[in-house]
Amino acid sequence: MSVMLTKFESKSNRVKGLAFHPTQPLLAAALHNGSVQLWNYRMGVLVDRFEEHEGPVRGVAIHPSRALLVTGGDDYKIKVWDLRPQNRRCLFTLSGHLDYVRTVQFHHEMPWILSCSDDQTIRIWNSTSRQCIAVLTGHSHYVMSAQFHPKEDLVVSASMDQTVRVWDISGLRKGSPNASGSGGPGGSGPGNFETFDTFSTVKYVLEGHDRGVNYAMFHPTLPLIISAADDRVIKIWRMSETKAWEVDSCRGHFNNVSSALFHPKHELIVSCGEDKTVRVWDLAKRTAIQTFRREQDRFWVLAAHPNLNLFAAGHDSGLIVFKLERERPAFSVHQDTLYYVRDKYVRAYDFNNGSDIGLLSVRKFGSPYVPPRTLSFNPAERGVILTISSDNGIFELTKLPEQAQGEVKDSSVDGKKGSGQSAIFVARNRFAVLNKTTQLIEVRDLSNSVVKSIKPPVQTNELFYGGTACLILSSTTSVVLYDIQQQKTIAEINSPPVKYVVWSGDGALVALMSKHTITIANKNFSTHSLIHETIRIKSGAWDDSGVFIYSTLNHVKYCLSQGDHGVICTLDNPVYLTRVKGKTVYCLDRSARPRTITFDPTEYRFKLALLKNNYEEMLYIIRTSTLLGQSIIAYLQQKGFPEIALHFVQDTNTRFELAIECGNLDVAMETAKTINRPECWSRLAQQALKQGNHKIVEKAYQQTKNFDKLSFLYLATGSTDKLSKMQKIAEARGDPMSRFHNSLYAGDVEGRISVLRDVGLHPLAYLTAKTNGLDDLAAEILEAAGLSEADIDDVPTFGASSLKPPPIITPTADLIWPSVSTGENFFDRALASGSLEGGVEPAYVNGDATAAGAHHALDAWAREEEIHDEIDPEEGGWELDADGAEFEAAVEGEEAAVVEEEDTELGAGATPGINETELWVRNSPLAADHVAAGSFDTAMQLLNRQLGIVNLALLKPLFLSIYRSSHTYLSPVASLPPLMLHVRRNPTESSPSRILPVAARSLQSIRSELAEGYRFVSGNKLADAQTTFRSVLQALLLVVLSSDDEAKQWRETVTNAREYLLGVSIELERRRVAEEEPENVQRNLELAAYFTQCRLQAAHLQIALRSAISAFAKANNQAHAARFARRLLELNPDPKIVAQARQRIAAGERNPRNAIEISYDEFTPFEICAATYTPIYKGSPSVHCPFTDASYLPQYKGNLDPLAQLAEIGAAASGLPAPW
Amino acid sequence: MDSSELYHIKQQFVLGAYKTLTQLTLPDPSSPDYTSTLLYKARAYIALHDAKSALQLMPEDTEDVSLKSAASLARYVAAADATEKEAALEELRDLSVEIEGDESEGSEREKAAVRVLAGTAFVQAGEIEEALETLGTDTEDLEAVALIVQIYLSINRPDLAKKQFDRSKRWAEDDLLLQLIESTIGLVTGKDGYSNTSSFYTEQLGNPSLSSPHLLTARGVTRILRNEITEAKSDLEESLQQQKGNSEAEAAYVVAAGLGATKPLEAEELWTRFAAEHPTHPLVENVNQKAAAFDEFAAKFTVPPLATASA
Repeated sequence: MSVMLTKFESKSNRVKGLAFHPTQPLLAAALHNGSVQLWNYRMGVLVDRFEEHEGPVRGVAIHPSRALLVTGGDDYKIKVWDLRPQNRRCLFTLSGHLDYVRTVQFHHEMPWILSCSDDQTIRIWNSTSRQCIAVLTGHSHYVMSAQFHPKEDLVVSASMDQTVRVWDISGLRKGSPNASGSGGPGGSGPGNFETFDTFSTVKYVLEGHDRGVNYAMFHPTLPLIISAADDRVIKIWRMSETKAWEVDSCRGHFNNVSSALFHPKHELIVSCGEDKTVRVWDLAKRTAIQTFRREQDRFWVLAAHPNLNLFAAGHDSGLIVFKLERERPAFSVHQDTLYYVRDKYVRAYDFNNGSDIGLLSVRKFGSPYVPPRTLSFNPAERGVILTISSDNGIFELTKLPEQAQGEVKDSSVDGKKGSGQSAIFVARNRFAVLNKTTQLIEVRDLSNSVVKSIKPPVQTNELFYGGTACLILSSTTSVVLYDIQQQKTIAEINSPPVKYVVWSGDGALVALMSKHTITIANKNFSTHSLIHETIRIKSGAWDDSGVFIYSTLNHVKYCLSQGDHGVICTLDNPVYLTRVKGKTVYCLDRSARPRTITFDPTEYRFKLALLKNNYEEMLYIIRTSTLLGQSIIAYLQQKGFPEIALHFVQDTNTRFELAIECGNLDVAMETAKTINRPECWSRLAQQALKQGNHKIVEKAYQQTKNFDKLSFLYLATGSTDKLSKMQKIAEARGDPMSRFHNSLYAGDVEGRISVLRDVGLHPLAYLTAKTNGLDDLAAEILEAAGLSEADIDDVPTFGASSLKPPPIITPTADLIWPSVSTGENFFDRALASGSLEGGVEPAYVNGDATAAGAHHALDAWAREEEIHDEIDPEEGGWELDADGAEFEAAVEGEEAAVVEEEDTELGAGATPGINETELWVRNSPLAADHVAAGSFDTAMQLLNRQLGIVNLALLKPLFLSIYRSSHTYLSPVASLPPLMLHVRRNPTESSPSRILPVAARSLQSIRSELAEGYRFVSGNKLADAQTTFRSVLQALLLVVLSSDDEAKQWRETVTNAREYLLGVSIELERRRVAEEEPENVQRNLELAAYFTQCRLQAAHLQIALRSAISAFAKANNQAHAARFARRLLELNPDPKIVAQARQRIAAGERNPRNAIEISYDEFTPFEICAATYTPIYKGSPSVHCPFTDASYLPQYKGNLDPLAQLAEIGAAASGLPAPW
Repeated sequence: MDSSELYHIKQQFVLGAYKTLTQLTLPDPSSPDYTSTLLYKARAYIALHDAKSALQLMPEDTEDVSLKSAASLARYVAAADATEKEAALEELRDLSVEIEGDESEGSEREKAAVRVLAGTAFVQAGEIEEALETLGTDTEDLEAVALIVQIYLSINRPDLAKKQFDRSKRWAEDDLLLQLIESTIGLVTGKDGYSNTSSFYTEQLGNPSLSSPHLLTARGVTRILRNEITEAKSDLEESLQQQKGNSEAEAAYVVAAGLGATKPLEAEELWTRFAAEHPTHPLVENVNQKAAAFDEFAAKFTVPPLATASA
């Protein structure tokens, strides 16, 4: 054992007892000064202290499954404590021992507490009844320890009387006499001992130690006992059903051995003693493996963690928690396979199918107790190099077998060994080995012969792969990127000692991990960023998109290449990350078992998308996750993306701040209106002034009644009319100063004079008038002042004033300073209702394959829509005024964000929230949903855009009935206006980002209406049928589809309805022709023939054919009639009809000619123009109805389709979106 | 603590058994329950839009502020034009101010009643903010909380409503009204698929001490929300049997019909009749508004000429 890794140390009074908590990182320590401490050894903090014992506490134990602690002290008392954080207190005290209590222990399943004491007895207590239920007597000196057997009803005790005794307590389980009460509760009197002895007997007395025995315990699985005694010897005993005997002794301690434990998992013994050592022994060979010495302190007690590789030892001045081996498994990832070492086997774990097979045994490599430290894999040769720290560091190079054979190969067969502390592959057929003491790096070939020696430029402790032909050398203060070929340093980064290095999948980035820092560097170390962690960093792996995911002792975190980092999830126990793929982290746990953790990568994906300006992805994330809240807004703002943050914020104050920050005056204006506070207006004015948008400045000044500035603004923009208005306002306000200003700005001399006069400044008024050549006025003023020319002789004369406002060269009153057009912000466009194109997931590089696959199924529809947007951007313009401002609620989703800011003003100022109908509109790209939400305008736009619908008036009843059926009203409180409740189609969903309106019409109900139409056809009510088919087509526009399957059905239904409508219309036309133009037989026949070409159901096709037959026969077109009859026969009609048809065929054969020439070529496939009812033969040009896909002759492009009368023929349309 | 009679009356009022309440015989005027009973009876009349009967109940010369405010509310509801309405509102405003004064008489219960009645009128008048202010969002009167919650819900702030509810839970114990509040919030948020609301109404329908068609309507509405249309239909039909022409139930029935409970034609007929009979019901008003909006929006699309053979 070359390492004893100290995890935690504490200083205190002498520690006499120790106990690990089975699940939490807690350790109870009983101290000689009477205190019991509860430590969290992972965080290194003292969690609590229990101080009720008087005098030293020696025994301590934690219940294996309940939150209970038991202690026993020199005050003869046993105390049981509640360990739960909120009520840590002594639950009860067990009294009965007559001397110091040495050890205490809980039974693993019964409510029993075992204790032993210097009073020479061992007692068993029922912790439920709090009674002593057995007293085991027999030892003739202090009993130093007593332990239950982990499975059987046995107790082993060690005593100063030099014996170890095994007691059979099976009698106790069969029903304690005490419990029945006859034995007398609390039988502590000596007189009761006999009763107890009847069901607990000494099974074996083990004699062999020459001095008092301090400790004895059972092996967890084998029939072995270990004991530690003052004769400095550890003895191992074996027992059978009938007897027990000494097996061997371990000698080596040179003072009293205080304690000796079996290792819970390995064949090891751990002991400690007053010789100030902790020693590790091989259980099989009974030889010492490792000694850990302490200078000052004698060891008194040892404890082993029940599940983990952890031990604790108590000594004179505190305790230490340590582990005996590194837990970090050696591993290496190559493509989809993880090669790792568990229990000294090299195994391969397939990330995709989870297969986990042992490939190679390395049991004979190095010390059997030490696991290999590192593993380097070479895919070209399937070679592995393992290093191990035992034997001063050795490595072994072996080839992995192609696949697992029956007998797993042992590496010693063909392994090539050598000494070296660090060894890694550097090329297909080369590996590098570091010898730390000589500071020499040897590059060897696969036959293990040295091809090159390198003297590293720095004191190197560890080697890592550094990219092609490079090494990363880790020294105590830096990492060096070293070129093997040129033998020179490429770059050096200062860093604490780097312990692990992880390269990203594409080899562009590398993470250099130290104990508390991670340096993310690019491949030539030219740029790098550093992350500090306060807690130990354990491992890391790269996500395919360039995000580094790492684990610390208790978290999984992410960090972006520029240094942003955050927590993904919390861990109970450390794990070693091996790989990240999509939402899954693959890792090895501390016992080297592969595990996976699923996490939510939304936060870092979002940040990454932001970094890369990948707005599609950001948007996708926003739409599909509920993560975003206040934190993300703060993040966006802090990172300098206020304009993006603006889209997520609802709170008007924040919106205002953000809008000002990013200079979005429209939003700022709008929010300022809602806030309506002077400081907002003045800030808005300031910002608008900066951007030269004086119109907003004007509004803001108006709002704050900032007349001075307003006037000056008008002067600056040269809007004289407004200046004169300002004059009037000033007059109305009775503010002479303002009047004066305004008249000055406006160059209104009279106005100015009149102000001066009004305020009694006659001299100034006079002079103003005088200098502006208004002598009459001047005289008037003079007169008003009661003076004459003579009185002002002494006033010097001034020349004519040239003071006038600057002339307006370019009036800018209606112009605002041009600013760079922000164009359509991506978000504005995308957020405008419904056009999120069904949330097509951007091809996220790290997207897991399954998800991507699923999205392929999103078929062409969604994509079509996208493409459509690109080619026809202005068409998307219709809804751009549907401000981005509306968006935020979907993001904020949960109430959290609102709640926080609203805390202070729960009261009267409550502002209305987002109506559910708005959410519906946001959540769906389907017209039907917009109709249900009452957003008729967007619904119409959608219909127009998706299916080219223009004649919306026909849909009014449908719109209204859907809207009406989607909202219901109820007032639970008397006399209040009823609440408008919104009927959802997914009532189990209450998340605002997913709720959708009820589907008022189902595809099913429409199909039954279609069937109704069929019945009309059969019943020859063609006009009714026509109406029904039209109504079906209308209803189909507003049906909610939820799967590809339904979409297919929908298309089918549309096609059927269209064919029938066409057929019925043709037949109606034929009847019209027959009635109104009876001489036009040719047209009559043509229409009859076309009717048979509509794709109808067999039954209806028969009707069409029969009517054609009779029409043609009547017109003496026997050949055609015979053709129709043949077609009729193919449909297997009624026998009677068959007979008629055969007659018709016979007639046709007799007289194979047609009396009337018609335009009907049944042998060339054709579509029927639904406007003219004439054939459009295959290959001829045609245009189509964007909704029903009915064909038309090209000249009808742009007209309203006559069939359904809804869509514009030939209009561009994107088809229905597929949002599911 | 309320007497058991009063408790029962309150329960009926909360659960909307207004009809039963109006048929109640008042206790002796000297009884301590007299005023409260009278108040609930009057409020039941008001809830049934029968403000005249409520006014008749009211003593002319009362000094009791709660009765005064009930009379004002009744006048407000009965008011034919805006001035009358405004006058009634003013009365209520005065009363609300009066009870805030230190020297004001009247017990806490009376004051609370004034606030609730005034708040009701303010909400009806659309003065949401005034209503909230009057009720006081930190009130410890559960009826006021119920009002506040509905107000918040009506302005799409279920978060605030939830907050009020959570706050009330602390002092209101498990009052029936509190359960109603919770169910009301559930009605709007749709938490857990409306399960709480649905079970609340189902439970109260099984309450032996009262029967209220309002509960049937409410459950019907809940079932509509849960997309259980046929069940909703039967609830609403039953409710309509008990109280013909109740606009609330009929409105819900129209919605259920539109969602497939009946044939489309029938649904259309029901709607036409409903719209004619209750032109002021919000459902009708809303739909009419939308109809007008439809024409406006539809007009923005130019309809090209029909493609015909002659063209």
